[in-house]
This record gives sequence, C-alpha cells and structure tokens, in this order.
Amino acid sequence: MTLRLSIPWRDGRAPVLQRHGGGQSKVGTGAVAGGYRAPVKARRREQEAGLKRANFGDGPGLPTLLLLPQLLILLFFFFIPSLRALTQSVLLSDPFGTNVQFVWFDNFKMLFASSEYRQSIAVTFWFTVAQNVLTLGSALVLAFATDRIVRGRSIYRTIILLPYAIAPAIAGILWAFLFNPAVGPLAQVLHSFGIAWDPNLNPTDALILVTLAASWKHICYDYIFLVVGLLAVPVSLMEAAAVDGAGPIRRFVSIALPMLGPTIFFLTVMNFIYGFFETFAIIDAVTKGGPAGATNILVYKVFVDGFVNLDLGSSAAQSVLLMSFVLICTLLQFRYFDRKVNYGV
Amino acid sequence: MGRKVAFIAALFGALALAGPVQARVEVQWWHAMSGVLADRLNELVEKFNTSQDKYTVVAVAKGNYDEVTNGVIAAYRAKRPPEMVQIAERGYMTMLLSGAVVPVQDLMDQKGYKIDFSDFIKPVASFWSYKGRMSAMPFNSSTPIFWYNKDHFQKAGFDKPADTWQELEKQLYTIKSKGISECGTVLPGDFYWSLLENYSAINNQPYGTLANGFDGLGTEFVYNKTKVVSQVARLKKWLDDGVMQIAGQGFSPEQLFTSGRCSTFVNSTASHGNIERNATINWSATFLPHESDVNPPLNSTIGGGAIWVLKGHTPERYEAVAAFLNFVAQPETQVWWHGATGYVPATNRAYALARERGYYKDHPTREIAVLQLSRGTPNENSRGFRFGNFVQTMLAQRQEVEAVFAGQKQPQQAMDDAVKRGNEILRQFEKLNAGKTPETERP
Repeated sequence: MTLRLSIPWRDGRAPVLQRHGGGQSKVGTGAVAGGYRAPVKARRREQEAGLKRANFGDGPGLPTLLLLPQLLILLFFFFIPSLRALTQSVLLSDPFGTNVQFVWFDNFKMLFASSEYRQSIAVTFWFTVAQNVLTLGSALVLAFATDRIVRGRSIYRTIILLPYAIAPAIAGILWAFLFNPAVGPLAQVLHSFGIAWDPNLNPTDALILVTLAASWKHICYDYIFLVVGLLAVPVSLMEAAAVDGAGPIRRFVSIALPMLGPTIFFLTVMNFIYGFFETFAIIDAVTKGGPAGATNILVYKVFVDGFVNLDLGSSAAQSVLLMSFVLICTLLQFRYFDRKVNYGV
Repeated sequence: MGRKVAFIAALFGALALAGPVQARVEVQWWHAMSGVLADRLNELVEKFNTSQDKYTVVAVAKGNYDEVTNGVIAAYRAKRPPEMVQIAERGYMTMLLSGAVVPVQDLMDQKGYKIDFSDFIKPVASFWSYKGRMSAMPFNSSTPIFWYNKDHFQKAGFDKPADTWQELEKQLYTIKSKGISECGTVLPGDFYWSLLENYSAINNQPYGTLANGFDGLGTEFVYNKTKVVSQVARLKKWLDDGVMQIAGQGFSPEQLFTSGRCSTFVNSTASHGNIERNATINWSATFLPHESDVNPPLNSTIGGGAIWVLKGHTPERYEAVAAFLNFVAQPETQVWWHGATGYVPATNRAYALARERGYYKDHPTREIAVLQLSRGTPNENSRGFRFGNFVQTMLAQRQEVEAVFAGQKQPQQAMDDAVKRGNEILRQFEKLNAGKTPETERP
C-alpha cells in the first residue's frame, strides 16, 4: 500500500486542490526526485501527475490511522452536512421538522424564477471580482514595498499583518462606523469633497464599502504569501537585470511578477473562496445585505433565508447551488488557468 | 492515596447530607433580552425563585430573537427543548402551527390556575390568542409611540407635535428650515412595524385579506392598494428633503434622537429605560400621528414577545412552568415589569393598579402606550396581524422600501412588488400548513 502525496508547488506550500490520479497537468514534473525506482504502473502515474511516493510498508493499518483524524473531520463537518443540505433542498418543511413534504425541485425552480436570487448572483460576482483585484493589487504593492525596505522590515510586516488578527465582525463594525454618513469621520471627509456618500441609502456606496472592508481584512493574507514568494525569486536574476540597467519597478514587473505566477494563481482562488464564503460576518456587520439587497451576496442570503426567515428548503437549495458553483469555478480555474501559469523557476 | 480516599468519602458524605433537602424542580426559560432589559428579567426570575421553595426558573439569554428561535428549533429537533421560550410577535404563526407547543391557557386550566384572560388589554389578548384561547403568555408587550425633543418644538413655536401627519410634516419642515435641528426625524430601524403596520392599524387600513389573516391561511397582502403607498412616498420625500435621516449600520437611530441631532423619533415604548438613561435632551413623547381624514384613529398594535411552553416535559416540570406563568400574570408583577422596563402592563387590572398608585403622575409618557393600545374598539384592521412566515415577508417588504429610498423604484411599483413577493411567501406557508389546526391536546 502506498500513499500518494501531491506537491504541485516546489516551495512546499500547501496545495489548494489535491490532484488525483489521471490528471493530465504537467505541473510539478520536475519536482519528482530521481534515484528511486517505483514499480512501472505507479511510476507512470507518478510521471503523469507529478506525484511523489512515500512508502508506509505493507498493510493498510498505518495509512488509515494517519488519515483517520482528517477523514473524521471531513465526515462530520463536510459529508454529513452536505448530505443533509442535499436532502433538505428537495423538501418543504416547517422549522420544527414536524411537517415535511417532498417537493422535488420546487425549491430550485423558485430560486431561478426569483429576481432577488439573480440580483444576489450579480452582486456576488461584482463583489468577489472587485475584492480580488483590490486585495491582490494592494498586497502586491505592499509586498513590493517591503521587499525594498531593509531596516525594520519585520515591524512593517507585523503592522501589515494586524488586520488578520481582528475578528471579521469587529472589522465590519469599524468600517461601518468610519463611513457612517451621520457620524463617521471618513464619511465627513468624503462629504467635504462634495461626494454625497451614503451607504445606507445608495446601493453602489454600500457595495463599495463592503468591498473595501472585505479587502482590507484579506490583504494581509495575500501579502504574506507574496512576501515569501518574492524571497524565493533568485537574487542572481535580479542582480543580472540590475546590471543590465533595469530599475526596481521594471525588475519587479518583468522578473518577480511572472515568477510569482503560481502564488498569484493560488491567491486568486483563495480570494474567490474567501469572497464567496468568509465575508459573511463583514456583510452582517456593515450592511446586513442592504440597502435594497445591494450587498446581499449568496452566502449571506443563505444565512438570512435559513436562520432568519426559517425557509430551510430554499436555504439548503441555495447552499447546494453555491457549493456546486464554487466547485465548478475552482475546477475550471485549475483546468484552464493553470496551464498558462509557469511553475518553473 | 489515603488522602484521596478520605476526600472522596467526605464528598459522598456531603452529598448524602444534601440529599434529604427537598430538591427544587428546575425549569429553563430561554429569552432574547439583553442589556438593561436582561438585568430586569433576571430580577423578575429571582423574585419568583425566592417567593417559593418548590421551583427554580433558570433564565438563559440566547442572543436576539432570531438566535433564540434558532436555538429552540435546534433543541427541539434534538429532543432537548427548554420548558419555556420567549418568541417575538412575528413568530406567532410559526409557533402556533409548529406542533411543538402547549397552549398556555390549556396548561393553566389543567394545573388549576385561574387567570382571567379576558382582563388582558385587547390588542395584547387578540394578538396572542387563537379562537379566544391564549396560546402564549404575553410577556413583554410594546407599541410604537412618538418621541420628541421639547426644546426644538418650543424654539420653532410649537407646543407639541401635531396629531396628524399633514400638520406634523409642516412642523418638521419648519424646524428644518429654521435651522433648529439637522433633521426633523430619524428613520426607525423597525420602520416596517411602526410606520407601515401600526400605521395601517391606526388609520384603519387593511393590510391583508381575511381580516389580516385572522380568518385563515389563505390571506393575501393588500397594502399596495392602501394609504401605505402614500406613506412610503411621504418618507421618501422627507428623506430627499433632508427632513428625515437614516442612521444606518454601525449606529443606532435612537442615538440620533437622544443626542439632539434629530427632533423626533418613532420608537417602541420599551425604549423608555434607554432614553431616560442616555438622553441629554429635554424629551417627551406622545401618540403616533394619524391621517387628517381618519377620525377617530384606531388603536395601535403590539410588538415584543410572549412566553411559549414547549412540549416534551414531565408533569412536575409543567407544574413549575404554570406556577411561573401565574406569577408573571399577577398585577403586581406586571406593574413592576412595566415600571422597570417601559413595556406595557398586559392586563387592565395591572394598569389600574399603576394608575391608582399615581405612577403616571411622575411618568406621564409611560401611559401613552397603554392609552394608544386600548383606545376605541379594535376592528379587523387593528386587531393585529396573522401572517405566516411574517419575518420573511417583512424582509422582502423592507427591501422594496429601500429600493424606493435608493431611487430605484416608485412607491407604487415597490409596494406592488412587495405584495407579490409577500404573497408567494404566504402561499408557501399555506401549502406547508394546509389543513393543519393548532395544537389543542393537553400536555
């Protein structure tokens, strides 16, 4: 019995998605160390998917034991809830569960017929895209800047990482207060420039505000990955470019950035997942999905329909759709995007 | 080792000594109060626990109303529900048809407590009863009243706020144009309750068919054909003219009033405690305004919560529950709770007692809610609301009103859409509960 470990990234970062046998990606082929000869069949698989083998001896005992904690976690926190969501999504039931009707796909049909749900999809799209661009862009600028700093680098890093330690709900309240049109100091600044800022009334302002808050909270996550990624860029290349007369920005754009490709790709996926699932608390604290549903992203709608409206069937149907949507997105990203990313250094 | 054995022996000895003392029956009450109100609630429970030695009520704060509801649903599904739970008024139909509750009046009859349910203030009694039988014990009943800044009105040359929306509008515009305050009023967080639902009751406007749902699950919303549409248009106009402000997230509307920034505020009578404590202004309160062509105005309706009793417990525990609910219904308890919080006394006897003691001489604004609730004879427009999934229909409606405020929709269009969405939600509830009658069996 052998255990396959996939390591798509050379610097040993945690892979985002496990690539299982049969994958046709060329990713990481260079990473398989030579010197060890695996059986023919396994070796072929190795070459196909870039897998490294670890031998645990005979018998399924040890591997099973090692996998057990993770499998149990998956079972209780993923498979069982997912299964329950799937069953609930074809049921119409009262919250106490005393009256349950099987309604086929009525919950899904109603969702697709509802303009509110379509609005929620559109909002989620703009929110996650804007959040992604903003987060990655700012993190890149910050990473580039700290890379240039020699003295006190760790202090800068610590400060930039601070927002990550703040609970999303608190971050949300902070932003809501700062930009509150009646009392918020930053809103006053905007007003003094003649901008009629009011996220409580204006849907666009509200969407901008939650995007800012969500990005601010997540920049540090992207930043730390990018800083580490920059450290991995060979100094020799940078020096060679410098000798050739390339300035720091040119070096960053032409050398460091392409080499950060895999990191940026990974972060893009993570940012989308963050935007889809983890921004719930921020939305709840900043806008509660309003005004007029302008910030009612899919995951927040799942929560409101399930836990406030007690419409369990619809809420379950929405989470099933959301889950499949994210799954498809991630798979597509890996399948098409992935090939264009150069992992070699 | 020896020491350990001695310790364990001592422990058992202590337990044996404690054994013979009669064990009190303990029951749980999950509630949604926080801050000052939670302190008062705990005092109330403490009063009950010390008043007798057979029962102990344990009050457990489970977050806001939504969280309490979710908590009790999860607990019921796991077959470990608390004995009592406080549920907001909007959850009435869900609880009534849940099949998970014991009707309070049945319980009290069975346990031999004589409570005069006909003595409850009418809008309170009608809201919480089904076919004349009380489903839950009214606990914290409130109604919206009109709070105002006395100084602002005096400066503008008015004695007090006008009785009608038309006159009030003139006053608020005067206050604004004279620069006395920044905004005439602030949009309440629960404006759908005070400015649309209670507005409909007071101005004798139907909200839904079948007597606002009292006559059956087939009810449909009709507020897109009533004065509610022009009410929404009025709010939009005030907003555009800067006469009304929205506090929004991160800030409570109440603070805009108590800080003196906005001159008036429509809010629950239950905020007496907060306003008395926080206001730096010379405030007072009065009745909600009504339309000039509606005379006399009808009663307002209630909000707040009631105590529901859940199924699945032993008779001894229901003894404890009945004893506690009996305690809650006593005029003395009601008067104390009324004074401590600002919620209305639920019974006429409690109100009379408070009056007798001259309570309203010192606290005139506390009487407004009772008077407003009990004025005239409630008709089918003012008795209350009986809509299933009422939280969901309300959120859909609020979203549509926000679309008006954002300038995306005209009031008529928005109310048409809200009614359409609301009716779809009502049909879901009807489908789910078709042919179901509320629980009448005894515990």
